[in-house]
Parts: sequence; structure tokens; C-alpha cells
Amino acid sequence: MKIIDNLKNGNLRDSGAEFWEKSSPTKRKILATSFIGVAALAPFMGFGLLDTPISDFGAVLVYPVGMFILMALGLNIVVGKSGLLDLGYVAFFAIGAYTMAILGTRTSLNTWEVMPIGIALAMIAGLILGLPALRLRGDYLAIVTLGFGEIVRISALNTREIGGPNGIANVPTPPSIGPIKFSLNDQKAYFWVVLIMILLTIWMIRRLSVRRAGRAWEAIRQDEDVAELMGVHTLKYKLWSFSLGAGIGGAAGVLYASKTLFIAPEMFTLNVSILILACVVFGGMGNIWGVVLGASILAYLPERIRFISDARLLVFGLALVITMNFRPDGLLPRKKREKIVANSSREVTS
Amino acid sequence: MVYGVLRMINFANSEIFMFGTFATIIISRDFLGNVDGSKSLPLPKLILTITLCLVGSMIVSGLVAVFVELVAYRRLRARGTNKLATLISAIGISIVLSESMRIITHSRPTLNPRVLEKKSLFEIAGASFRIDTVLTIIFAAVLFVVLDRFVTYSRLGRAIRAVSMNEDAAKLMGVDLNKVISATFLIGGLMSGAAAFFYTLTYENTKFNVGFTLGLAAFTAAVIGGIGNIRGAFFGGLSLGLVEVYASSILGTEWKSVTVFIILVLVLVLKPSGIFGEAVQQTRA
Amino acid sequence: MKKTLLELKDLTIKFGGVTALNEVNLKIYEGEILALIGPNGAGKTTVFNVVTGVYKATSGEVLLNDKSLNGMKRHHITKLGISRTFQNIRLFGDMTALENVITATDVHKKSGLLGGLFGTSRARREEKEGREKAHELLKFIGIDEYSDRLARNLPYGVQRRLEIARALGTNPQILLLDEPAAGFNPAEKVELAATIKKIRDAGFTVLLIEHDMSLIMGISDRVAVLDFGQKIADDLPSVVQNDKRVIEAYLGVPADAS
Repeated sequence: MKIIDNLKNGNLRDSGAEFWEKSSPTKRKILATSFIGVAALAPFMGFGLLDTPISDFGAVLVYPVGMFILMALGLNIVVGKSGLLDLGYVAFFAIGAYTMAILGTRTSLNTWEVMPIGIALAMIAGLILGLPALRLRGDYLAIVTLGFGEIVRISALNTREIGGPNGIANVPTPPSIGPIKFSLNDQKAYFWVVLIMILLTIWMIRRLSVRRAGRAWEAIRQDEDVAELMGVHTLKYKLWSFSLGAGIGGAAGVLYASKTLFIAPEMFTLNVSILILACVVFGGMGNIWGVVLGASILAYLPERIRFISDARLLVFGLALVITMNFRPDGLLPRKKREKIVANSSREVTS
Repeated sequence: MVYGVLRMINFANSEIFMFGTFATIIISRDFLGNVDGSKSLPLPKLILTITLCLVGSMIVSGLVAVFVELVAYRRLRARGTNKLATLISAIGISIVLSESMRIITHSRPTLNPRVLEKKSLFEIAGASFRIDTVLTIIFAAVLFVVLDRFVTYSRLGRAIRAVSMNEDAAKLMGVDLNKVISATFLIGGLMSGAAAFFYTLTYENTKFNVGFTLGLAAFTAAVIGGIGNIRGAFFGGLSLGLVEVYASSILGTEWKSVTVFIILVLVLVLKPSGIFGEAVQQTRA
Repeated sequence: MKKTLLELKDLTIKFGGVTALNEVNLKIYEGEILALIGPNGAGKTTVFNVVTGVYKATSGEVLLNDKSLNGMKRHHITKLGISRTFQNIRLFGDMTALENVITATDVHKKSGLLGGLFGTSRARREEKEGREKAHELLKFIGIDEYSDRLARNLPYGVQRRLEIARALGTNPQILLLDEPAAGFNPAEKVELAATIKKIRDAGFTVLLIEHDMSLIMGISDRVAVLDFGQKIADDLPSVVQNDKRVIEAYLGVPADAS
């Protein structure tokens, strides 16, 4: 059976894809629902082998695991799908977080009301950065985006009005939704919100992949000059890629501020950008599930194994070098377009 | 130089520099036993210290550079991987190097005991020139001339230029590509090592992340002058240094790196080829 | 009176000290197959690059339907009706053959990212139409059995034909083919000639760079000859074949084309 053969060859991606295709729509609905169900139960699984000695398991699931997955998905649109190297992704995370912190402490808006504002501001920032930066080639784009990330952090550091080096404290938690309370001691509610955000993001990316935007991004990644000659408005779609990625980062930031209740510039360093990049690269650039898996592993392991935690950045750096040298496609390589297109023909014509 | 040959930025340059600074301190403090630091060393010992540290720093940086090339670039280059992957690999090795040093030094700065008192030698227009500054300038000028001559007249220099102009033709002419690329990295490393020595001499301390800000400034200088062009780099370095100082005095030192970044973005957007160099925008069909 | 579709007017391109094109004047009429020939380095691919907006003219202009293309963005030029293939095949290797062509059809769609995301009826309709058109084009070129295979895994001949299909996907008025027969054996060249004629008969104008004289003489309505960036001849194939200057430029008699 093909699935077994694929598994034997270590080809996780194709065996997963095979299994999904062979299943009828009803079977797929059941699979998807049970998968989501299991994921939702994750906060209850923090015992035994999975337990994290350093911090509370529930808290870990939200940050770093959940947030890293979310941000890695966002960065994946930029780096994985469009082939644009962004080393300043943390800036959007910071913008979302600071928006929440500032509006939360100075106005009566709650987290849910700030969320769209945070996302919008992050997207605008993405546009502002993208307009000059996206005209540049790969390595220059990388440096400029890196610079942007640092500028945001340093500006926050030097601006007394928004806390300077001390940051902003007493950021309000989100208001309860019915019986579900958001608190520091019990982070389950936060986790479920992150989970919903992740699912929304996955839905959005999958949908766009088989439409014009996804094609444009792929074409840009593979051969930007030819893409333009074939009529793809490359600047527009690169800007979209940047903005969407930024918006996702901003969303994560808003929730993060609401969770940690106190934010400071030192939380938004270049290291975070690199960490998220490592998740994307290690997991499989361009592949949603690869990125989810990669982010989960890289975010979770330092919490589980103390010695990795101390050398966390070193491990991530090694992950980058080793992955690029030995398995440049990452854990779960980019899904073969053959499968995506064949599947989508069913969706589109229905 | 690395850019000229590989058409890619050497991200790990900052770490190559950083290792040079540590080498300087280790040679001066541990091998030569200069721990006192209260006044200038007697001339013979001073000359010995400077020579050994300078050479040692250059060698260490050169070796680290070759190591970086072997680990981060070579394998991917052989496979013809895309630029993005190579870039990421370079970033990875850069992190591995700086983090390793951070762990070794426990994130604390390391001090370089003083070997040379920073006496002022002379003044021009109210600006006083300290002895270490003068030394740095003289050596930079000498090094620049040496490098320029080397690249223009020596056999290896010609090979490097050939590869930077047309890799395939160079290979057909019998140039050993691997050797040339390693040599380019080595030379770049030697330069960084020299810079590292003078940095440590002047500022008398170093830290695992010392390379970052400087690396950024170096890159900006190269871009201003026109990347891929050695003379441009010289000019760029000079002008950036001046701008930095003026900006610091007007805006305050906290904003220094932001200023550098903004200059970088402005140059890249407005005059991407810098003053002397080649275009950095998307290569055209 | 034949209608001029594309015109190069006093077109000059200089790169630093090198003059790639020197005051070239050329008219391409609607519905014809015009072959552009000349020794290597004569400037043929440069013409393609200027027409598609990759190079900027140093002086002179390119006119499409009497409208100047100077300074226009490339994707806009494509939208106006110019499309091309490449000397070294440049397909989107990680996409399927079908997807390569669908991507080309996207240029005329009105719906974009948001339409696709929210599933507007216009977006869904355009998506369906684009897919159908892509299938038709692959059939027209004769490679639709390969539609779901990755472009980089296709045999060489199929790849070359896919590039043509993709270029047609943008629904151009004029199709620029850059050495489409490179690497083909005689049988494949005959097939290609028939395909190019078929394309013209379907209403497209074709500008063709080629080195194979028998192919050119067989299908071209006119032939223009470039040498050192200048046009040295521009006439019917039989006339050009016997032009002394053309013969000299090639250092010898062209391959037997009778």
C-alpha cells in the first residue's frame, strides 16, 4: 500500500496527502473535527512525558508554542510562499503588543476591540516597510527588514511616553466570554483563542493558495522576472504578502500583551525574528503543516529540556545551518503542486 | 570582497570580527601577560604586543572566515541551491558563532588591559588626535593600499576579480573556484581581524555582540560606497563615520543605530548603486 | 492597407559604452509572422527585452497600436497584449503545466486576493474560466495529457511547447518567440512550424527569433535582419535570402532553403 511505502521512505508529507485524498468528504469532515478536538484538549495533556519542568504546561502552550505556530504561519506567507526574506518580523508582533498595551491602559477598549486595530496597524506597518524594501533583492531586503525590526524596538526603548525601557504594565486581560475566564493562573482560555486564530489563518492560507494570489506568490518565488512578464503585478502581491504576514504577527502581539500583562522593548528583539524564521525553515518552507510541526517542536523542546533552554538561540541557529545543509526543504517539504491543483479543481468547479 | 565574488552578503562578518577582538585580548592579556593596564608599556614590549596581537587577530579572524565559508556556504554552493537557502544558512552560522561566545563569556564583557595610554599627539582645528587614532588611520591607509595593489596586480587578485566578473569564464580559464572563494573569505577575514585589533586597542573591551552594530555600520558603508567596490567601501566608511558622529551629537547616542539604518534604507531606495558600485535591484532578464 | 501592430521607431539602446541597438526602425503588421534574424550578438534578444519592457530605450520608442510603451511597467505591457517565450526555458518549475498557463490567464482577471479569499461569485467564475481556457490552450498546443505534471519533470520538447501555451495564456496581440526550435530534431521542427502557423491563423501576430533558415523561410511572411544593432534588411524571405549584405553578415551562404 502506498501509504506504508511512503512512511517507510520517511516521506511523511506524501503519506499524509495520500490518506487525505483517499478519504471521502464525510470522512474528511470527521477527521478534521477530531483533529481540532484533540488539539483543543491539549491543555489537559500536560503530564508525564509531556510535562514542562520550567513553566506551567498550559502557559507554554500559549507562549511560546501557540504564538510561535501562529507567527510562523504568518512569516511562512512571506518567506515560504513568496520567497521574501524578512528578518524583522518581530516588529509586527511588537506593534500589535504595544497597541494593546497603550489602548488597554489608556482607553476603555478591551482586547477584542483592540484586536482589529492592532491588526490594521501592523498591516499598515507592513505596507510602509514593504513599499521601499520590496524593490530590493534578497540579501538587501533581509538587511532592511532586520533594520526595521531594530528601529521599532529602539524607538520603543527611547520613547518615554510609551514606557521607554520599562515598558507598560497592567495591561488588562480580555473580558470573559460567558463562563470562560481569562486569567494568569489558568491559561486554557488563551490557548483556545490562539487555536482559533491558528485555524482561521490556516483556512485563509489554504484558500488563497489555490487562487490567483497563491499562484502569484509561487510565481514570484520561483522566477520573479518571468512572473512580471507573464502579467503578474509583482509589487502588489509582494505587498499583500508582507501585509498579511504582518497582520498575523500583529494579532499575535495583541493577544500576547493581554496575556503577559506587562510588555517591554526587550521582549521584541532580533532573536525573536530569528526564532520564528527557524520555525519556518526547519518545519518546511511553504508547507503549512510543516511549519506547524516545526514551530511546535522548536517552541516546545526548550521548555521540556532545560539545557536546550539555556542555549535556545544556539540550538535554533544550528537548526538553521543543519537544515539548510542537509534537508533544505525542511521536515515536511513543500507540498507538490500536483496534489494541490488536482484537489482544488474539485473545489472550484463545485 | 565576498560580495563581489559571491554576489551575496557575508552575514557572519560581524562574528568574524568579534572573534578577532577576543583573540587580541587573549594574546595580550594571557600570552604576553599584560595585566597591569595602568600605564603604557615600555616601547619594546609595546611593539611586541601590537605586532603579535595584530597578526594574531588577523589570523584568527581569517580562520573563522574560512570556517564559515566551508560550513555555511560551500555545500550549498556545490548543490546550486538558491540564494535564500544560502542566506539562511549564513544567518544560522552567524548565530551559532555569537551564541557560542555568549555562553562562554556568560554574556559579560571582557576587558582588555591597557597597553597604550591614549595620549593626544597633536591637534588640528580644535580636534585632538590621540595616538591610537593616528595609528588606526595610518594602518587603515596602508592596508587599503596593500589590498588595492594586491587585487590589481597579484595573480590571486586577478583570479578573484575574474570570478567576480564572470564565474564561468574564469572557470574555463583554469581558475580553481573553491580556492578563490576560500581565499576571498580569508582576505575578508584578515581585514576584519585588523579592524578587530584596532577596535580592542581603542575601546579596551569587547563582548559577544560587539560585531552586530559595527557589522551593520560596515555594511551600510559598503552600500554607500557601492558594494563590490573596494575604493567605494573606503569612501563609504569615511562618510558614514562622519555622519554618525554628527547625528549622535544632534540626536543623542541612543539613536545612533537607527540613524545608520535609516541612511541605509535611504541609500538603497534612492541610489542603490551607491557612489561607485553596481545595482542592487532585481537583476533583469 | 495592412495595419501596423507593433513599431520600433528610431530605437536606440546603449549600455555604458556598448550600443546594442542603433536607430532601429521596424514595423510588424497585424496577423503576420515576422522573423528576426542575424548573427549572434546582433541585438535580437535586446529587441525582445525592450518591447517587453525589460530594458529602457536610450532614445526612440516602441509603439503598440500607435501607443508608446516607453516607461511602462512590464506587467502592464503584458496586459496591453505583448507576451514572450525565452531562449533558456523559464517555466515555473514547481507548478504543474496547467497552473503555469492559468497563472498567465490571471492578468486579465478583475478579481484579486480579496475576491479569492471571500469567494465572491466573480472570483469563482473567473477562476473557472481561467482553468478552462488553460485546458483549451494546452489542447491547442497538443500537450494537454501533461496538464497535471510538474513543469520541471516534463520532457524538453513539451517544456518548450508549454512556454508557448503559457505565453498565449495572457491573450496577447503579439507573441514573441525566442528561438523556439532550439534543440529540436527536424521532425519536431516541422511540427513546430505547423504549430506557429496554427497560432497565426488563430489570430495572433508572431515575432520570431530563429537560426534555422529552412524553418524561417518556410513559415515567415517577412524577415528582418539585424547586424551589430542595426537593421540591414527587411523584406520577403526570398528577397532577404539573396541580399548581399545579409550574406556577408553571416559570412557565407545561408543553409540551403530552396
